[in-house]
Amino acid sequence: MKFTWFHLMPYRWLPADFRQRYHSVWVDLPNGIYDPEKGHDLYNEYLDMLEYAEQCGFDAIAVNEHHQNAYGMMPSPNIMAATLARRTSKAMLLVLGNSIVCYNPPTRIAEEFAMLDVISGGRLIAGFPVGTSMDINYCSGQNPATVRDKYREGHDLIMKAWRTREPFAFSGKYTKLRYVNLWPRPVQQPNPPVWIPGLGSIETWDFCAQHDYNYSYLSFSGYKRARNMMNGYWERRAALGADDNPHSAAFFQQVCISETDAQCEKEWWPHVDYFFNKCLHLYPGTSEAPGYRTEASLRAGIVSQFGNTTQNMGIDKSWKQLVNEGYILAGSPETVRQQVEELAKTLRVGHVLLGCHIGSAPAELVNRSTRLAGEQILPKLKHIYSDYEDRWWPKALPAARRAKAGASMPAGAAR
Amino acid sequence: MTEPRSRMVELGPGRPTLEVQEAGSGPPLFFLHGAGGVGWDGGLALLAKHFHVYAPALPGFGKSPSEGLEKIEDALELWQLGFDLVEKLGLDKPLLVGESFGGWIAAEMAALRPKEVGKLVLMAPVGVWRDESPVVDIFGLTIGELLPFLFYDLNSAPARNMAALTSLMSDKDDRTQAQIDALIAIFLGFRTAAKFLFPVPDTGLERRLWRIRVPTLVLWGAQDKLIAASYAEIFAKHVKNSQVVLVERCGHLPLAEQAETTAKEIARFAGV
Repeated sequence: MKFTWFHLMPYRWLPADFRQRYHSVWVDLPNGIYDPEKGHDLYNEYLDMLEYAEQCGFDAIAVNEHHQNAYGMMPSPNIMAATLARRTSKAMLLVLGNSIVCYNPPTRIAEEFAMLDVISGGRLIAGFPVGTSMDINYCSGQNPATVRDKYREGHDLIMKAWRTREPFAFSGKYTKLRYVNLWPRPVQQPNPPVWIPGLGSIETWDFCAQHDYNYSYLSFSGYKRARNMMNGYWERRAALGADDNPHSAAFFQQVCISETDAQCEKEWWPHVDYFFNKCLHLYPGTSEAPGYRTEASLRAGIVSQFGNTTQNMGIDKSWKQLVNEGYILAGSPETVRQQVEELAKTLRVGHVLLGCHIGSAPAELVNRSTRLAGEQILPKLKHIYSDYEDRWWPKALPAARRAKAGASMPAGAAR
Repeated sequence: MTEPRSRMVELGPGRPTLEVQEAGSGPPLFFLHGAGGVGWDGGLALLAKHFHVYAPALPGFGKSPSEGLEKIEDALELWQLGFDLVEKLGLDKPLLVGESFGGWIAAEMAALRPKEVGKLVLMAPVGVWRDESPVVDIFGLTIGELLPFLFYDLNSAPARNMAALTSLMSDKDDRTQAQIDALIAIFLGFRTAAKFLFPVPDTGLERRLWRIRVPTLVLWGAQDKLIAASYAEIFAKHVKNSQVVLVERCGHLPLAEQAETTAKEIARFAGV
């Protein structure tokens, strides 16, 4: 199995009385409370964490896409990935953005991902989320009634653009282009591996199986609560005649690693508290626009404007509850290792996306956690599922063929 | 109350199938509902004493299958659909009445083919926008929070009926199938409205209002907090042959909250 270090990039200075003063962390939280100078430090600190993860042995580093959101400060994941492409050389770059429907024309995504793939020497994993309703409907104005149709059309256009070596015309319902002719085109042929982040809808499972894409279940509620959902995934794959290759699935899990179990709660609780009780403070009225989910998916779990999005999100839970219920895997490296192994085996996932940063966690704590994971967790679990071919991993240029950042500068100029 | 008859109207292959309810006798009144669907409890039943009321349900509303929405590509096709129904029902220059979302459709129909409309009644129609007086975002509020924007008197019977729905918005998993179906119905109706009105219900109607030449009644709840009654003046300014009636002690849904006054005004305007 492979390990990806996944950053959400939360803002660290939400006020103590945040939940009383503001009704949501997302969509309409006034940006007056964002301090760009603090943001400057934060971006650089967070990018350092991702780069350090490569040094600690993580197979990939990951960024994602959110808009108008204080817990996810990456409206453009491609900008983050571009900085990482230059400052890293071994780790694969998992970009679990680009929300296809928000880009006009969608060939912009094909172009930017191709640029990232070329700059990084073929290390890109391309993520195509539909996007949350907050992001795509409320923040980006996309129509919820047509968004899935538009997504499918945009996807088809991007894949055709990557795979076609001659200019072609595209006449879709949402995009019409007389000349599609991608410059540059990706290093990886015919295209970078595609991962689709999702929250458990059957349509997404079918889409992944149909195109042989990786399905990435991004959950904040932990692996224990994900079992039914992932069972559903494997059953659906079987019903569709797809194989049971564990690498076809990825799972996001937040972890808090300290030297000892005893130390962990003291070091991590304030930051875990910050995440669950501030970062997940959402307003139900703008959590799901009508039409975003199909009727079938809606019947499977009525929330949003019809219910309470705090349900099962981990808000107002104690450290003990969050740990026991698996929202976070916390403790010494060995304690966390055991749980990650259980996660991988019970959910049958070959890709674990570790959230090693959480809430307001500072660099020192996070980097230490990353190092402990790299030293004491990753090497002990890599063998799991190694007998399965990973068709969802980048086919990068051989290391010797990859350019080194700064190599062509005059002697002494590179730093 | 006059019990409406319900039937399904098919418009042919590749077209939506729609439920049409009708009641009463007299000159034809073609009614286009708002985002809440067709309600017969209030003013419609009163209007059926003067008119033969035809009330189609758009896809996702009433018994009209939600999949029909995929067969209406854009706003123009929605307006044309209105005339397809008028024709299918065999109505000759009906009194066209629309509220809110349906008011927008009615206004567009009258602007598109004015010779096929008798008279026009617009009750707090959407479609026009002023930055200084934004229309409330019905897609960005919980239903409980929407109520004070819809009603002048939250203790009125229609307000209490709608408030009963909010009790279904719990975070518990203890709803009955009927309750779930009721929630899904609201969701599917709003989805249809969203296709044409999301994210900002500024449809460009204002540029077309001058095309409306039929006698027009613009009727607004004086205390409408969803779309301010000041919007009535915009319609009056552009629609030459129009008159404005503000209904007192009334929010966004005159047909529900002030049924008698509203029905009376419409009958007076129509001359029946």
